[in-house]
Amino acid sequence: MSGPASGNGPVSLDDARWQEVLEATNGDAWPCYQCGTCTAVCPWGRVREEPLNVRKIIRAAQLGVEEDGGMLWLCTSCGACETRCPRGVPIVRVLRALRSLAWKKRQVPKGLPSVLWGLYQDGNPYRLPPSARSDWAKSLEVRRFQAGDEMLLYLGCTASYDRRMQKIARALVRLLREAGVSFGTLGDDEPCCGEAAMALGHAAYAAEIAEANARLFAAKKVRALVAISPHCYDMFLNHTPRLEAGFKTLHYTQVLAELLKAGRLSFKGSVPKRVAFHDPCYLGRRNGEYEAPREVLRHIPGVDLTELAECRENALCCGAGGGRMFLETPAAERFSRLRVRQAGEAGAQILAAACPFCIACLEDSANQIEAGPAVMDVAELALEALGAPAPAPGTAVQGGRQGG
Amino acid sequence: MTENSGGFHTIVCLKVVPRPEEVVVDPQTKTLDRAKARSLVNPPDLNALEMALELKEICGGSVSILSMGPPFFEPYLRLAMSLGADRAYLLSDRTFGGADTLATTYTLAKGIQKIGKWDLALCGEESSDGATAQVPPGLAEWLDAAQVTYAFQMAPADQGRMRVRREVKGGWEELMVSLPAVVSVKGNVNEPRFIDFDRRRWALNDSPVTVWSAADIGAQADLIGFPGSPTTVAGVRQVGGRERRKQFLEGTPEEIARELARLLKTQAGSR
Repeated sequence: MSGPASGNGPVSLDDARWQEVLEATNGDAWPCYQCGTCTAVCPWGRVREEPLNVRKIIRAAQLGVEEDGGMLWLCTSCGACETRCPRGVPIVRVLRALRSLAWKKRQVPKGLPSVLWGLYQDGNPYRLPPSARSDWAKSLEVRRFQAGDEMLLYLGCTASYDRRMQKIARALVRLLREAGVSFGTLGDDEPCCGEAAMALGHAAYAAEIAEANARLFAAKKVRALVAISPHCYDMFLNHTPRLEAGFKTLHYTQVLAELLKAGRLSFKGSVPKRVAFHDPCYLGRRNGEYEAPREVLRHIPGVDLTELAECRENALCCGAGGGRMFLETPAAERFSRLRVRQAGEAGAQILAAACPFCIACLEDSANQIEAGPAVMDVAELALEALGAPAPAPGTAVQGGRQGG
Repeated sequence: MTENSGGFHTIVCLKVVPRPEEVVVDPQTKTLDRAKARSLVNPPDLNALEMALELKEICGGSVSILSMGPPFFEPYLRLAMSLGADRAYLLSDRTFGGADTLATTYTLAKGIQKIGKWDLALCGEESSDGATAQVPPGLAEWLDAAQVTYAFQMAPADQGRMRVRREVKGGWEELMVSLPAVVSVKGNVNEPRFIDFDRRRWALNDSPVTVWSAADIGAQADLIGFPGSPTTVAGVRQVGGRERRKQFLEGTPEEIARELARLLKTQAGSR
């Protein structure tokens, strides 16, 4: 019999569970010597009475005992713990492995099976019709990707379906056109990257999606893929098999920075505002890209780029990673609330980000406080800086609320 | 209840439907042209299957899937088995084509009789393409079995009966029903479990799918397909989706509220 690892008293060990956990985590939890740094740096400790006890979860994994269910699903996979762990434990990987065991036992929070059904039946976690995937581009006449194109613009589910995030997609289309980049999309046939399955710990399903995507990109002869969401970017970069040797995965901020550097794109307009950049976890900490988005912002005439109190490796998560986008978080417990306050403290009129999940959380929290900053995507700021004539109806990119 | 078998034999009726937003109505034949539409399992049927699988977890027994349709339904039956069903039966014959709910329920009932011993037949409340909700009651009639419609909860009770709660206007009623019984399950009453990937390999390759023709189930020719269907569709019209106006208001919250109120007053219902 296996006793729960919570509460006091003896813990009885279960060899079968130990074996199961060992196989799922591949021994990743072993190096941990229980210093508790992970728990101390976990952002949940700043918004909840009871922090997310990462140390205890890792200990339970080492012993092969059951850990209280709910806690496991709080993790936003922001990776703040991993950057500080003195033993180099891939904590997020361990937690995902434990989630995969929870899937096998069907001990997952309500609502999450529906998210995976969404991926399975509709090709997106929001359960929206696949035939409406490219509706965002109706007024833009974005063409299909053809072999030989410089890059495939990969929208991702959120930028495809979410009205607010569609603005980012439309801004990016205009920027790429301005720079003369030959690109196309997969239209309604664009598949989900599978990150939702990955983040929620359904490794087997995520791997299946990734393999299908790799075959699709190879068949379409895609040489470079540019993703809007850092979550898709991470999925394609780190978890999708690479079938073509030269295949490049890029985040759109990297593409814009490169185009600016090469002189293919230049900003004639200006954005005379104080701007702070919020590092998305999956772009920054997880993939080490801190410069590209800042490079783009620095190119914008008038932008007074400032930094938030916690930035780069120390950036505070928005709260939406690790599948938290699909679970409800009480308003008072949202990390984005702290983040928006930090923007105020930095005197930022605009809080910029480069991730649809971050934008959703930050904007929501900004709207809940008095005189919150305007939340804008880097692509939207870049579009404003183009100084282009007034955009056609339906393609308008609004700056959100005026900051101050 | 099947004596001493340790649980119930539940048959879940499952239909494969076209994605509603992709269906086109053929103006000539007045039938749904599903050729270009992708398919999925009728959503409330997955709720019925979930209820059956939960019952199996509590009481033991087994779950069979029954469907009437063309051979392309088979992968969807295997999907149901990857969720936890044990076997599937597909009633497939060209002569079944064009069936209304009377012919459909006759055919399904013949299928259930051919399967043999059963305790419960669960159906989704209605199909998303037909939306008649006539199949579960029709099935119960052909089988001369008890029936409960719009169930949202079910638990075994004494004397081999089932305690079933069904939705009624403003509340619910609880029924004690003797078996065998046909129960239609409300959509969204539970969250269908996701595919069991360990089970799926078996479900896709080795799980038993039995295909029966009209002759196999001993169906009478005048009761199936077109001949067995007194209902004819006199007219079908496709209603186009409404295009939103996509108007965005700007200004302070007060200005936006005032402008919105003005627009609602002056323009509501003006199209």
